[in-house]
Amino acid sequence: MNKYNLYLYDDIGRKYERKNLYIKDLAILQETVVDSNDDEKPELKKKLKLLINKKDKHPYNIKIREFKKEESKFLSDLDEKEEVIENELSKIEDKEIRNLKKQLMESEIKYDFYKKHSELSYEIELKEKKNKIVIDQLPQTIRSLQYNKEKLERLKVEKKNIDSSLERKAREEFKVYKAKEKNKLNEEIKKLKEERKKGLISKKAQANITKELKQKYKTKKSIRRSSVPKRANMESIKNIKNTIKNISKQNKMVLNANIADLRRNTPVETIKTRPIYAYTTFFLPGLGQLLNKQYRKAIMFFIASVFVYLIAIPYALGYANYQGEGIYGLISLAEGGLRIDKSLIFMIEGIIAIFLLIIAIFLIISSFRDVRKVEKSRIRGTREKNWFETKMLLKEEGFPYLVSSPAFLIIIFIVLVPIMTTFLLSFTGMDPNHQSKFGWVGIENYKLILLGEGLAGSVFWLILGWTVVWTLVATTLAILIGFILALLVNNERVRFKGFFRTIYILPWAVPAFITIMFFSIMLSPDGSLTQILNRITGSRIEVKNNANLTRIALIMLQGWLGSAYVFLLSTGVLQAIPKDLYEAADIDGATSWQKTLKITIPLVLFQTAPLLVTQYTFNFNNFSIIYLFNGGGPFNPNLYGNLAGSSDLLISYIYKLTIENQYQAIGAAITIFISIGLMFFAYLGFRSSKGFKEGKL
Amino acid sequence: MGIFKRNRTSLSDKQPLTPLGIAGLAFTYIILIAWSIAIIWPLFEMVLSAFNGKQESYLILNSTFEFSVKHFKYLFTETLYLQWVKNTIVIAVVTTILTLIVVSFTGYAYSRYRFTGRKASLMAIMLIQTIPTFAGITAYFTMHSILESLIPQFTRQMMLILIYTGGGIASNTFILKGYIDSISMDLDDAAKIDGASSIDVYRLIIMPIARPMLTIIALWSFIVPFMDFLLAKILLTSPQTYTLAVGLFTMINDFRTINQPAFAAGGLLTAIPIVVLFISLQKQLVSGLTSGSIKG
Repeated sequence: MNKYNLYLYDDIGRKYERKNLYIKDLAILQETVVDSNDDEKPELKKKLKLLINKKDKHPYNIKIREFKKEESKFLSDLDEKEEVIENELSKIEDKEIRNLKKQLMESEIKYDFYKKHSELSYEIELKEKKNKIVIDQLPQTIRSLQYNKEKLERLKVEKKNIDSSLERKAREEFKVYKAKEKNKLNEEIKKLKEERKKGLISKKAQANITKELKQKYKTKKSIRRSSVPKRANMESIKNIKNTIKNISKQNKMVLNANIADLRRNTPVETIKTRPIYAYTTFFLPGLGQLLNKQYRKAIMFFIASVFVYLIAIPYALGYANYQGEGIYGLISLAEGGLRIDKSLIFMIEGIIAIFLLIIAIFLIISSFRDVRKVEKSRIRGTREKNWFETKMLLKEEGFPYLVSSPAFLIIIFIVLVPIMTTFLLSFTGMDPNHQSKFGWVGIENYKLILLGEGLAGSVFWLILGWTVVWTLVATTLAILIGFILALLVNNERVRFKGFFRTIYILPWAVPAFITIMFFSIMLSPDGSLTQILNRITGSRIEVKNNANLTRIALIMLQGWLGSAYVFLLSTGVLQAIPKDLYEAADIDGATSWQKTLKITIPLVLFQTAPLLVTQYTFNFNNFSIIYLFNGGGPFNPNLYGNLAGSSDLLISYIYKLTIENQYQAIGAAITIFISIGLMFFAYLGFRSSKGFKEGKL
Repeated sequence: MGIFKRNRTSLSDKQPLTPLGIAGLAFTYIILIAWSIAIIWPLFEMVLSAFNGKQESYLILNSTFEFSVKHFKYLFTETLYLQWVKNTIVIAVVTTILTLIVVSFTGYAYSRYRFTGRKASLMAIMLIQTIPTFAGITAYFTMHSILESLIPQFTRQMMLILIYTGGGIASNTFILKGYIDSISMDLDDAAKIDGASSIDVYRLIIMPIARPMLTIIALWSFIVPFMDFLLAKILLTSPQTYTLAVGLFTMINDFRTINQPAFAAGGLLTAIPIVVLFISLQKQLVSGLTSGSIKG
């Protein structure tokens, strides 16, 4: 048996004397057992046991039983009294006020009863004080409700008795007033227009002043209109109705807040010493909350239970699957299944099942922690939060989870599930001969690509080599061109800067796929660019049929396309460099070459470096340019086999493997291989990024 | 006169050019003009072919020019160009709206709340987003058929929208989070003292202030379906559902439908609004890029 504390503590650690004398006795005795020497121990332990065994005979417990009897009698008496009260109140017509009065009278009776016993336990004290809060607050609410409702009635009577001749007169007056004001407004707007014509004010000022004038006119109009009797009456009624609504609402809010406050100040006592509910009911979220008497919270967690037991677990076991067998499908991969059963579907459903289970486990853990927290704080003496407090807490602390849950769901099912599928696929034997059914092959695919064996793996290193060369050369070329152009245009002696800048960002602004396709047309055997080249060199050049020429063309094309972006970035940085840096350099006698080398280049590089790094990763995965320009060709079966062309990058090779030639498994292996590489470089980038270092994230 | 010439006062505070400087400047101009030609010429050629009535299915050099809009006519009557435009715009609009809703909430939550699991999930998302979207290509197809069996109305285009949205969440969350971080917390506190709830702060304070960044995110999300070729090519299989990039590709790649001048016309029509958009908003677009420099 665990030890009882002699005192109770609330959230913020305030100490409270125990009111449950039985537990207090236990706590005192336990303490003496600990403090006693060996001789006294057996004796004291016996005494403790006796105390526990004779729990029912303890004077405090007897008292509590007596009180309970008394209380139930009191409550049944109250039921009878209720009728008397209702009779008494039946004269009051308004239902809301009647209910409030009834509540008040009941609370007064209850308060008197509980007050007599409040020394007995904290539960009784809580009840006493709750009723006290009601007694303190309701009279004021009832008074103001009564006052406003009477006023409302008066206004309704007034409405019927409005003198029609007065009303007509007031309306006429209002019309005249309105017309006058409208005229004034029009004149002023006209005046503004003239001023604008003369160029005295700007267009924006004209618009603003016009807006202001119109607003003023509207306000004046509505103020004047409320002096028309009917209108005034209508507005007053509307206002009072609103006030009445607010009084009731505020009454509830304040009552709830005060009770919540009270609960923080009134400790709770329990005979329990361990959070047993948490451990015994963890498997069914909601049950523990129910035992803790938090009913609405229990409903919330029972919904979680429904998800766990009716969706996640059945799905994982293979029920309600599209084709698969839940998690088991990951092992079997539809082996021995029907003809239409597809291994890939079994795999994806297995992965979905795993994610559903993870969500289920998360729900179970959070329910368990919730129950345990409530129980532990009760043992300590702190009262659990009631629904009103929980709701407030959820609104604040649950908010980030609530609002980011759609994002998490999309990321799990649209990003994580496919990536997991690709990852698992790389360990299977999915190829053209095993499309619908395939099995696990371990790291066979990785072996094939690393050793460069097999139909699909043999060209891996060749393609990786070209991919690396392409990435380095094409990106660097684009950066160089863009940067040099930015420097040249930024020269203070160069004129028509805006003209050049607009032209230079065109390759960035025109969608890349359009320019790539058009260059592809122009460089085709009969294309215009090919013919120009032929005329210049005098020999027949077929760029798209020559591996090296295609590669050179691709690199130059990327230089053309990518330079615009770099140009834009560097121009932005160049314009932001403070002039005094150069002036200081001038004074020290620096040449313009030195200024460029020592000031401009370091500054621009430093600021654009992270973005330039992303240009390298972008080009590493630049599928469009390869596929749209020449489809990865020209093809050279002797060197590249039938699957790849000589200008294919890894990404377009993966595309061809998985989409066009159905070597999904090996394509997945290559995907994972390069993804890990990319993640590694990205990690290096993050680690040195400012946000990460400062722990800001 | 000679004296005058020698002592001509320059209004500029720049030093007069040395002969070497003049040569350098001339060289600079030559490079700048040459590069301008290199950029303008292909684009000009495209415009020319789009309007050249003498061009047939295959574009060739030096055919005589005759102004005609027959390629545009072909584009509108013989191909599904208008359908593709419609598809792309629908996909772009839905993607943008979804992205904005999802990202505005996550950006706000990650910027303003220190909840359990925040740092861990942020790190996880950061790493996941470095894996290129194409990594899941094999699964997308099958996932679509699973979803379609559950909800028969679930089309391939909807799958594409979800993929575009999912792919943009991580980086856009970072961009927006950074922007919201720069908005003073005092504003939130002031509103909360006056009784505003979290959702009120989000709706009435943060979102109006973050509007410039939201505009940039919306723009980039909107442009994605216009630029993407790979995913659309994989997922969309019938010409009726194509987006512009995939549709236009059939005009230069598929020998049954090949018509290069019509491609030039279609490309021109597609490019013009985007070019106008990019050039007029270049500053905003670049600032969006710089703040999202983590994206690979």
